[in-house]
Amino acid sequence: MKAIIFRACCVGILFLSALVAANAAGSVVVISNSGIAVSPDEIRDIFLGEKQFAGGAKLVVIDNAALQGDFLSQVMHMDTAKYNGIWTKKSFRDGLTPPVVKSGNAEVIEYIKRTPGAIGYVSTVPAGVKVIQ
Amino acid sequence: MLDTINMDMKQTRQGKVSGSWRAMIVGVAGLLIAAPVYAKIIDVPVAKDAPVYVKEVPVYSKTDTDQMKAMESKLEAMQDELTQLTSGMASRSNSANGLPLHGFMDVGFANNSRASTDPRGFFVGALSFYLAPHFGDKVKALVEPNFEVTPTGAVATDLERLQIGYTFNDNATAWAGRFHTPYGYWNTAFHHGAQIQTSVLRPRFLDFEDKGGILPAHMVGLWGEGKFKAGDSRLTYDVFAGNGPQIAGGVLDINQAGDNNHQAMVGFNLGYEFSGSLDGLRLAVHALRGDVDDDAVLPNKTQLNIVGGSAVYLSDTWEVMGEYYRFNDKDQSGGTGTHKSWADYLQIGRSFNNLTPYVRVERTVLDQQDNYFNMQDSGQSYARQALGLRYNLNQKAALKFELLNSSFKADSTGATPRTALGYRSLFVQYAIGF
Repeated sequence: MKAIIFRACCVGILFLSALVAANAAGSVVVISNSGIAVSPDEIRDIFLGEKQFAGGAKLVVIDNAALQGDFLSQVMHMDTAKYNGIWTKKSFRDGLTPPVVKSGNAEVIEYIKRTPGAIGYVSTVPAGVKVIQ
Repeated sequence: MLDTINMDMKQTRQGKVSGSWRAMIVGVAGLLIAAPVYAKIIDVPVAKDAPVYVKEVPVYSKTDTDQMKAMESKLEAMQDELTQLTSGMASRSNSANGLPLHGFMDVGFANNSRASTDPRGFFVGALSFYLAPHFGDKVKALVEPNFEVTPTGAVATDLERLQIGYTFNDNATAWAGRFHTPYGYWNTAFHHGAQIQTSVLRPRFLDFEDKGGILPAHMVGLWGEGKFKAGDSRLTYDVFAGNGPQIAGGVLDINQAGDNNHQAMVGFNLGYEFSGSLDGLRLAVHALRGDVDDDAVLPNKTQLNIVGGSAVYLSDTWEVMGEYYRFNDKDQSGGTGTHKSWADYLQIGRSFNNLTPYVRVERTVLDQQDNYFNMQDSGQSYARQALGLRYNLNQKAALKFELLNSSFKADSTGATPRTALGYRSLFVQYAIGF
């Protein structure tokens, strides 16, 4: 009986640990200004400067400094060093402008709401913007 | 004294209170009465602000509901302030922050087994800035002023790139101005940024015109570039046309002030970027054609014809780059016919965290009866092997060590005879990007 209780406790602890770990990683929601239409498949190209326009509108890419690590690992599958390296080369070679960096959710949401073509990512789903992924 | 206390205790146990105990009880009672009175006496004159603090305490401590209401109102005030702050920050435009200035610079140390070939000792490399202003959604520019110290110690200044572009859509951008001729891979991948290229030196034949290169690395004219998606892969293209170069003083001159012979140089570069399991691989073919005059006593005119290809594989750990150039140049003034030459290189690097050892082999076989090569100081056939080690101090700084073994081939078939030459070199470079 004691062994069963011990095992149940272990499973419970593992389950809780997994939940805590998942929560710590943080969820990333990619959002855009409601005036543009892009698909989840295009997110990678957009954030690497390969896709600059959507339906004739110039895309304005926003990085969320508070959430960048989670976004790069979960969505872009790369680390910050590689991402920054790619943008250094893009800017130097092709004259592209690297993403605008905002400090956190509130600033990203505010910017996206009032900037046509803006696309970024946050950790909570706000009202008044389009959720892409 | 002990005897007195013992006696007093004995008397207390007996129900009688001694004089000492009576005195202690009276003293404690006195203190209890006097303390609040004293506190009141010192409270009044000490600070007239104090009552404000004293008054607030009862407000928060009246009831839990009052306390929560007070906290809510404070939170609401903070939220309003935060919203105003973020709104203000978000409404600042990027242009209001000014135009970012980026660049690269490097310094180093060199030694070689033949002092007359290259300088020995410490040297200042180059300081290269780049600016990429945008003017609206589709108009952009790229400017790269470069300052570098020549072998004679002078500081040379050049507008390495000065191009204005118009982006039609994701598939097409047109540029006008001075740009790096988009042949192969290296010339448009690393430009003058020593920090972003793995090695210290470029392959010699691909170096800039005044540094031993035998190709027109820069061009003044028009350039169209773009990409098309092909599934998850991409088809890339570059087409360009501009002033043909001339050879003056043994060095290629790109004629940036105007074409001396009014014969355009044209070319293209078509590539395919793989995806999936071959992600990181790019294969491309390129071609370039143009008439080149030189400054011989009886000037020669050579039709430069180049075809070739490049293969590049880049991953998190591997960097493999190779380019091939086949020359089929036609003598248009001397009637010596067509001359065939070639040049290539292969460089392989493997990253171990911040450490990247690399090796490169490069070789040219250049026909000295071809005036295009014979009239260039650096147009001699050579073979070179490079072994290097790069250490990234961080994302913006790298320390590189490079050993080179160079051998130049004797050739007396051309108007200017070439003598054999061999030497070994060591380069140390400290390069940063900012």
